[in-house]
Amino acid sequence: MTIEEALAKLEAITQRLEGDELGLEEAIRLFDEGLELASTIKGRLEEAKLKVERVLEKTKNVFSLEPLDLP
Amino acid sequence: MNEQHVYTVSELNRSARERLESDFGEIWLKGEVSEMKRAASGHLYFTLKDDASEISAVRFRGRTSAFSPLALEPGTMVLALGKLTVYEPRGRYQFIASLLQPLGEGALQAAIERLKARLRDEGLFDPSHRSPLPRFPTRIGVVTSPTGAALRDVRAALERRWPIAKVFLFPTSVQGESAPDEIVAALDCAGRFSEREESLDVMILTRGGGSAEDLAAFSDERVVRAVFACPIPIVSAVGHEIDSALSDFAADVRAPTPASAGELVAPDQRELVESVEARVSRMGRRLAERFRQRSDRLRALVRPSLLRAPERRIETLEQRLDGLVERLHRGVGRALSARASQMERLVDVLRLSDPNLPLRRGYSLTYLSGSSETLRDAATAPAGAEIETRLATGRLRSRVEEVIDT
Repeated sequence: MTIEEALAKLEAITQRLEGDELGLEEAIRLFDEGLELASTIKGRLEEAKLKVERVLEKTKNVFSLEPLDLP
Repeated sequence: MNEQHVYTVSELNRSARERLESDFGEIWLKGEVSEMKRAASGHLYFTLKDDASEISAVRFRGRTSAFSPLALEPGTMVLALGKLTVYEPRGRYQFIASLLQPLGEGALQAAIERLKARLRDEGLFDPSHRSPLPRFPTRIGVVTSPTGAALRDVRAALERRWPIAKVFLFPTSVQGESAPDEIVAALDCAGRFSEREESLDVMILTRGGGSAEDLAAFSDERVVRAVFACPIPIVSAVGHEIDSALSDFAADVRAPTPASAGELVAPDQRELVESVEARVSRMGRRLAERFRQRSDRLRALVRPSLLRAPERRIETLEQRLDGLVERLHRGVGRALSARASQMERLVDVLRLSDPNLPLRRGYSLTYLSGSSETLRDAATAPAGAEIETRLATGRLRSRVEEVIDT
């Protein structure tokens, strides 16, 4: 799941929790799922380290990547 | 009668070429560009003129001397260094330019303005062609010099704000005569890479500050058209705040500097974390409300007098829940998962405090008839006493036969 998908899902969960038709069990389940998503998103952001790759094309449409380290 | 030499056509053209070349040698020529054609071979054919006269000129591909393709925007006054020659197969005389530059103060800018007007009329700068940038890009293509300050700035901005992204560098030179072709090739390469390998969410075309001539590659017609045609949303960031290039107008978004391009393409992860935390506390508040509604219902359902003890527990739990939600609301997020399990435990306890649950499991509550106290000690119900037993469904009224254990 991409960050964007996770965020969209979290948003959807929040909205469902704000609706009135939910039973308690369902609300708890959604809340748990929301917490899970939130900590996934945060964990992913906290661990992230920017990667920079130089794209080389030796022959047409044959690409290779070369990590580019900070000078 | 003197014998006159009869030339063949080839002889004459060759002879004329030799004489023109040796008589004139290398010369400076100034004139206004009136027509320009780029041949498939890469050679440039153009016409130079003044008020009364014009001459065909050519600029062969691959010359290394200083040359600004923008100088060839029709209407530009240029100064050209080259030699005069004859194109023998056609018997046409022409000027072969090796160096060409806009003539006079502001001539380059004027040439850019003319090109800008032409491309605008063609609709290349029309806002309706612009696509929005994605909110959360994960793969970002950067077309710039691998050694320039621009790459360093873009990279620093992304490292700080959005390190979850992966940057793909498509290296190119960003100034000099070969720059426009290289930039176009790099953009093309990025498009194909995105289609075949890893789909890019957004592109940045950038370079740092420099002289007007240095920046001119980004106003080259080929570059502007390639930016316009780029299938991926693209940000153009050329030079410093005050600089602009035509690529800025054809791009989806213009950024004033390379660093701001890095900021523009991606959200700030700190803000995102804050909004995620705000969302979590919103969820927490909603859930707490539900607990409250639920316990209110609970209180309404059962005779409060029968259930004083569990009710007290519910109140305590509610307070704990409120405190927890409050802390969530304050939202320091590190210990989020620890909090989540704390919340889960609380939820379990709260669930168990539902007095109907033990009854559903087969336990029951017993009262002396007419009393609201549950029986906890057999001694309090002497033989002959009437008792009431509450089950998951229904009640029983019975009489005590014998007290067995005290």
